Amino acid sequence: MRRAWKPWGALAWLSGILFVLPVLWMVLTSFHTESDAATNPPSLFAGLSLQGYEEFFGASTGQSPWPPLINSVSASVGSTVLVLLLAIPAAYALSIRPVKKTSDVLFFFLTTKMLPVVAGLLPIYLIAQYSGLLDNISFLVVLYTSMNLPIAVWLMRSFLAEIPKEMLEAAALDGAGLVTTLRRVVAPVAVPGIAATALICFIFSWNELLFARVLTGVVAGTAPVFLTGFVTSQGLFLAKMCAAATIVSLPVLVAGFAAQDKLVQGLSLGAVK
Amino acid sequence: MAALLLSPTLLVLGLVVGYPLLAAFRESLYRGGDALDADGFMVSGDRFVGLDNYTEALGSRFWTAFGNTSFFTFTTVAIEVVVGTAMALVMHKVIRGRGLVRASILVPWAIPTAVSGLLWRWIFQSDGVANEVLATDLLWTSDRWAAKIAVIIADTWKTAPFVGLLVLAGLQLIPNEVNEAARLDGAGAWQRLWRVTLPLVKPALLVAVLFRLLDALRMFDLPFVLVGPQKGSVETLSMLAWSEANQVRYGPAAAYSVILFLYVVVIAFVFVKMLGADLLGDKRKKGASA
Repeated sequence: MRRAWKPWGALAWLSGILFVLPVLWMVLTSFHTESDAATNPPSLFAGLSLQGYEEFFGASTGQSPWPPLINSVSASVGSTVLVLLLAIPAAYALSIRPVKKTSDVLFFFLTTKMLPVVAGLLPIYLIAQYSGLLDNISFLVVLYTSMNLPIAVWLMRSFLAEIPKEMLEAAALDGAGLVTTLRRVVAPVAVPGIAATALICFIFSWNELLFARVLTGVVAGTAPVFLTGFVTSQGLFLAKMCAAATIVSLPVLVAGFAAQDKLVQGLSLGAVK
Repeated sequence: MAALLLSPTLLVLGLVVGYPLLAAFRESLYRGGDALDADGFMVSGDRFVGLDNYTEALGSRFWTAFGNTSFFTFTTVAIEVVVGTAMALVMHKVIRGRGLVRASILVPWAIPTAVSGLLWRWIFQSDGVANEVLATDLLWTSDRWAAKIAVIIADTWKTAPFVGLLVLAGLQLIPNEVNEAARLDGAGAWQRLWRVTLPLVKPALLVAVLFRLLDALRMFDLPFVLVGPQKGSVETLSMLAWSEANQVRYGPAAAYSVILFLYVVVIAFVFVKMLGADLLGDKRKKGASA
């Protein structure tokens, strides 16, 4: 048995490496000079340089990357906070104090995942236009909130279901109201679950491209939109492009790496339970 | 009390998801812009055109996009299930460094599609890595089938890990004793896989497939970034609707969207009906006991 898992281990490592390879290549290229990046076959062992990043942040292109990055941060963080504020009470109602027809409510949440983003795109565009919120980051915050709400409720419900009923009963006996129960009993147990849910929502909003592309322009454009626009103007400068792509991926990569086991637990609990 | 806690969420979903659907349906019955009426006068603004948008939508471009959407959905989901399950089975055996392997496999799923689309565009350039490694001279993004294959490869790279992680989570719930017992009864490795492991992991797998189906049918950004808009070889229904809306043809765009929505609902319904005994059965039980 001890010997048996060794080939499996090698295989797992191999597939792991295979899957990260393109990303590693991108990061490596971003640290090369433009001329080293452009060679074919790629010069893997060329000296490292920050030229790509300097040009990217130095706005040698005429567009500063800071506004889109800040937009992305506000849209992702803002919507994640809103999602948590809405999803936690809803999940609490569904798991700890189940309403009648809990499974119907849960199924309704699932059906919202069937709606093609693009079907909602046009009416939402028209709403934005009508209300003057086109190219406004707060509109994206509301959209991302509703986009992530169903999955957040599913996840939070399965996390909250782990809280022992006895603790709640004890709290009730001690005369704790809803707010106190939530704050003193539920929150401490649920915090890891909340973190996982928050991370997943953050990743989804950070990566969203379709809504952002259609609903924003020069003012509220997010980082992925900026990146796709960057391709058209700077696509030939490989090192600079790779630096841009690395910067845009960095927040989700850091978030993902920092909490990978929580993330997996969150994803699987939401799906399997 | 419970209703009070639920209502903000239901309200937001109703407003931001329910309303657009109704509005899209209404929009699909109208056509905007200027036109000449029967007497040759200019009329502007939205006109009610009944089902005209739908009958006109069903042209060859629609059928190509419909074919692409279905083709991508079924091939990518099938490949991703096989690759993802294999990855999960392998990862399950790993004891040392499982966390790191898992984290590295999470990378393709986590990075923005805008980035992965770009990455694969470089790989599939005419003088890119793909041609180098395969010793071919394919024009990946303009050749019909090569472009499709490029999209499938990139999508598999991006989402097979997601399937793998869900299946891995399912695998970890299977008690070791079950496998051990089967082994003692003389079941071979292959038999154990088909008769014990896979049936037990089926609920997790079905959920993964359902989520993937719903997402793949709405595929947009990967072909958009990798190959580009308005390329018949990879244009999906979402991309078609987007490109119509982009040209201010809102009526037809809404018609395409409604058709796609109905398609997704039908597929999800059929899936849940056919294979969903585990899926819904589990959920019912949970709902009742919770």
